[in-house]
Amino acid sequence: MKAISTKYYFWLILIVFLFGLNVDIQSIEHFSSVRDSVAAANSITDETVHQLPEPYMVIPFLVLLLMIATGPIFYSHFWERHYPKISVLLGLIPVIYYLFFLKDTVSLLHSTAEYLSFIALLGSLFIASGGILIRVEKKSTPLVNTIFLFIGSVLANIIGTTGASMVLIRPFIQLNRNRIRPYHIVFFIFTVSNIGGSLTPIGDPPLFLGFLKGINFFWFVQNLWHIWLPTIVVILIIFYLIDAKNKYQGENENTYSGKIVISGARNFIYLGIVLIAVFLDPAVISWIPSLYPLPFGIREIIMLLIMIISYKTASIKILRDNEFDFEPIREVAFLFIGIFATMVPALQLISHEAQLYGQQINAGIFFWLTGSLSAFLDNAPTFLNFLSAAMGKFSLDLASVAHVKEFVLVDTIYLKAISTAAVFFGAMTYIGNGPNFMVKSISEKAGIEMPSFFAYLFRYGILILLPVYFLVWFAFFS
Amino acid sequence: MKTISEVLKNNLPGLCYGNRILLPFEGIVLKLVIEKNLLRDFSPSSDKVYINQTDEFLEIYFKEYESLKNSLSKYETIKMVVVEKGSDVFDFQNHKKIALHIEENHRVKIEEITDDILFIE
Repeated sequence: MKAISTKYYFWLILIVFLFGLNVDIQSIEHFSSVRDSVAAANSITDETVHQLPEPYMVIPFLVLLLMIATGPIFYSHFWERHYPKISVLLGLIPVIYYLFFLKDTVSLLHSTAEYLSFIALLGSLFIASGGILIRVEKKSTPLVNTIFLFIGSVLANIIGTTGASMVLIRPFIQLNRNRIRPYHIVFFIFTVSNIGGSLTPIGDPPLFLGFLKGINFFWFVQNLWHIWLPTIVVILIIFYLIDAKNKYQGENENTYSGKIVISGARNFIYLGIVLIAVFLDPAVISWIPSLYPLPFGIREIIMLLIMIISYKTASIKILRDNEFDFEPIREVAFLFIGIFATMVPALQLISHEAQLYGQQINAGIFFWLTGSLSAFLDNAPTFLNFLSAAMGKFSLDLASVAHVKEFVLVDTIYLKAISTAAVFFGAMTYIGNGPNFMVKSISEKAGIEMPSFFAYLFRYGILILLPVYFLVWFAFFS
Repeated sequence: MKTISEVLKNNLPGLCYGNRILLPFEGIVLKLVIEKNLLRDFSPSSDKVYINQTDEFLEIYFKEYESLKNSLSKYETIKMVVVEKGSDVFDFQNHKKIALHIEENHRVKIEEITDDILFIE
């Protein structure tokens, strides 16, 4: 349900962020390219000049996570009506704390820039893909489904996990309309929305941040494919075995033409523009102007324009057939504004601890720590914090591109562990990665009863993914 | 009272007032999807939906909504699985998937869901 007035809460928190910039703008003069969405990449260096938050400031974050987990189950009516206000109000607690007690606007600016970049990317991919209708007129079989998920996993590296999820989830449901079960959607989230996208910086945001910090674009595919492939294969074998037990095909077995029909193909151009825009960042291309001190840049403006153009020019029929609705992206926008704001103290404390104990932890521990936190926190800053800690073991600084390039040459095991975990563990919960929620929401609107937060975590995440990740750890990082 | 087939064939509209929808046919509702809410509990104690069959129409109250018109977006529909009254409810061939579009002036467009729209029974 939509409480229209809640949009004001959304703007309220952004205004408070921006207000903070004005009252303490002098304190961030040293921060040269703060606008970059990726500004978190520099956060380690800058944040260290600020006082650490009190540990109790992680409470709003924990409360928000708890409410996201329990709201739809135990008090769904209240939650559906008030989640935007709850998310924004919880987000305001650390914002006020940082502004008026720690006098730290830099951290808030980082988080604002990250959030705007995050939602601009997700929003533009969501709206552009909403104007595309793909129909797969094939009979659903375990093999066809497995091939579909594998292709989706590869595609996730080309158009990102969000883009691939939005483009493929509807045809995947359509393909399985006579035998769909929640596990179909869950394995889609595992592969296409998360694990699949670990081979290129386009695939998932943490890898893109790594790319912006100086890791070669092709480093990930060259160094992670041998982890990616067996992981995807094992998960798809599990999927195949489960799917093979699902025999129901419904009554339309003889009506499959075998065709794949794509309508609204023009929107693929918009998707392409969004993906090109991802690279339009002063940190990547020097002549791209920075809009500092605004917490967004040319990239976000282009993505906003794509949102408007792709929506206005989309076919009405396709929008109707897709039942296009802003609610899934609205839900992500509100929940993640709270998550991005409340996780600032949590990430700073983690970063601090990682710096302190980085010398004592090996690649395996990096894998599990990065992973377990990426399952519940935003995996992009988590990736950077642990990357910083790992580089610290070699007296290298994440803020220096030269140091990052040197680190990649010195020892790849840590970067492999952190990259793999940051992407893979996003599949552990609905909040582990942006597209998870959207896929869930689209599936529910199609009449599929999706597992609750806890059911997903325990029945699928822990029962299926965790043993696979244990094997990954044992084979590559133990 | 008209049948569901007659209503679909003749493009007869329903009505919507606030959270109440009136459909000009007799039928047994098996499943409803509004936004991302899946409704299957149609017992009198349900706090989400109330369905009543009168001699003139089938009425559905969505108790969690104040105004369906304001709550649903331009391209959203209410989807339902419904069986013609008098038909064998246990025969899946008789299960009809219907989409309800809330339009202007309290009109509700009733149409059968094709394979273009995602709706899983």
